[in-house]
Amino acid sequence: MSELNPNYTNYGIYDINNDLDFNLPNIDIKFRNIGENVFSYFRRDAEDNTVERMIPTKNNKIRIEIAPIRPLNHPSHRTSYLYLELETPVFLSENSQAKIFARCPIEIGIFLIDGENKNSLDFFTCDPINSRFGLYGTPESGTLCKYTKSEIVESYDDSKPYVDAIMEIHFGNELSRGQSISKVIFPVTENSIYYNGSKAIYDSINAVLKKKLTIETLDISARNISTDWAKSPDYERKELVKRLNMGVD
Amino acid sequence: MVFEFFQGLDQVEITSGLTLLSLLIGGIIMAVGLIIARTVKLLFTKYYAPKLSQDSAKNLGKLLYFGIIVISFLVFTSTTGVDLSGLLVAGGIFGVVIGFATQSVVSNLISGIFLMIEKPVKQGDSVDLPGLGISGTLLDISTFSARVRQFDGTITRIPNESFFTSNIRSLSSTPVRRSEAIVGIAYKEDIDGAISVMGKAIRKEMPYALILPKPDFRINELADSSVNIEVLVWHPREDWDQVSPKLLKVLKNALDEGGIEIPFPQRVIWEAKD
Repeated sequence: MSELNPNYTNYGIYDINNDLDFNLPNIDIKFRNIGENVFSYFRRDAEDNTVERMIPTKNNKIRIEIAPIRPLNHPSHRTSYLYLELETPVFLSENSQAKIFARCPIEIGIFLIDGENKNSLDFFTCDPINSRFGLYGTPESGTLCKYTKSEIVESYDDSKPYVDAIMEIHFGNELSRGQSISKVIFPVTENSIYYNGSKAIYDSINAVLKKKLTIETLDISARNISTDWAKSPDYERKELVKRLNMGVD
Repeated sequence: MVFEFFQGLDQVEITSGLTLLSLLIGGIIMAVGLIIARTVKLLFTKYYAPKLSQDSAKNLGKLLYFGIIVISFLVFTSTTGVDLSGLLVAGGIFGVVIGFATQSVVSNLISGIFLMIEKPVKQGDSVDLPGLGISGTLLDISTFSARVRQFDGTITRIPNESFFTSNIRSLSSTPVRRSEAIVGIAYKEDIDGAISVMGKAIRKEMPYALILPKPDFRINELADSSVNIEVLVWHPREDWDQVSPKLLKVLKNALDEGGIEIPFPQRVIWEAKD
């Protein structure tokens, strides 16, 4: 990825009456007023892939929202699970708890606002090389996930604009021995994303090492955060996703 | 007057015991049975079928429909007093003749029933039948045959007996699949360097190739002119067409850009001295 430019467009809602360009990493976005009550949308990425849309309007202006969305759509929607492999594993001694902040990938959604409705106009990733799949488990019965190596950072302020959002992970160890955790796999559709300026954060997750009968598992659940940051619209359809029973390494 | 009309019908005997009136009543029973069967099937399709798998819903719908019609027929025969015993005797002899003539039809029917019970694959699955040379998406398994839409867009009807007795390779019952390719590099080239170049190209240019399990590189053969490397890449099961047909091109371009030679077959000829 090229060095991030501090002058990138912020996330948020924009009213467009005339021509307007947006400046995002590796992405060119242009809105053009091409006629009475008609706008055009044009997007070009670093690999010269282009997307064009005509947008008819009622009153010669459009309102759009640029927001971070879950990283599930590029290159195609195949799963609702996110596989975070921590660059540095976390060691938890017995009956201990810890809290970390980790980088999680995002994609960017462009939404057309019509009254109360927010309709998905386009989506893309500013970091296509790291938008890849991984398998948790065996090829016969494993779970396909979006995979990323996740760096542990200090706080929510470390979010890279248009590339990632920060997630707080609350670890716990209810086992009677110390244990390292190097990965967490969870249905990311349970986590909302919030943005402020060009930074983004996810809802938190709890990841607790437990013993269920004789099996040691890492039990993962979403945990809503309270924040005054704006909540991103959902890009994907709502669907019920089963939680995984993660084994312990 | 109406009563006299029906009395008149009751006196018209077609065969022994079967009058025109009983035939009329039988017709009404069959018509009502048909209406009930259609209504039940409609209600089933609307309210219960969406909760079942496509195959089960289709088969259960057929079972309900034909079950009600058969019951109507039995009610019809019992109320009209039609004696089917003669038909059964004649049917016994006739059945043997028909049995021989429709052996394959019955075989397909029985195979269809077993396919519906065993369910080796389900509607919408991608299947490969190596013995029949057929690959594609299974559209349905009906009473006598299965239909497969091949990847070239054509639809092939396969008799259930052939389908049931074939080796069936399911291409969509696991979350991921693997594609393979073999490339040869010159003996003078650094094998680890070539593997590194190919790995980076797959990572960069193949968004559907899985990071985990990572692509695997195996020395396949020390061949006559080249060191052959087998490249194994995992991908989501739906995206075979995004990986397998493109893999060799990506590898070839990567080796070209890395200045790694892909040798032509070559032979060293020693000339004997006189």
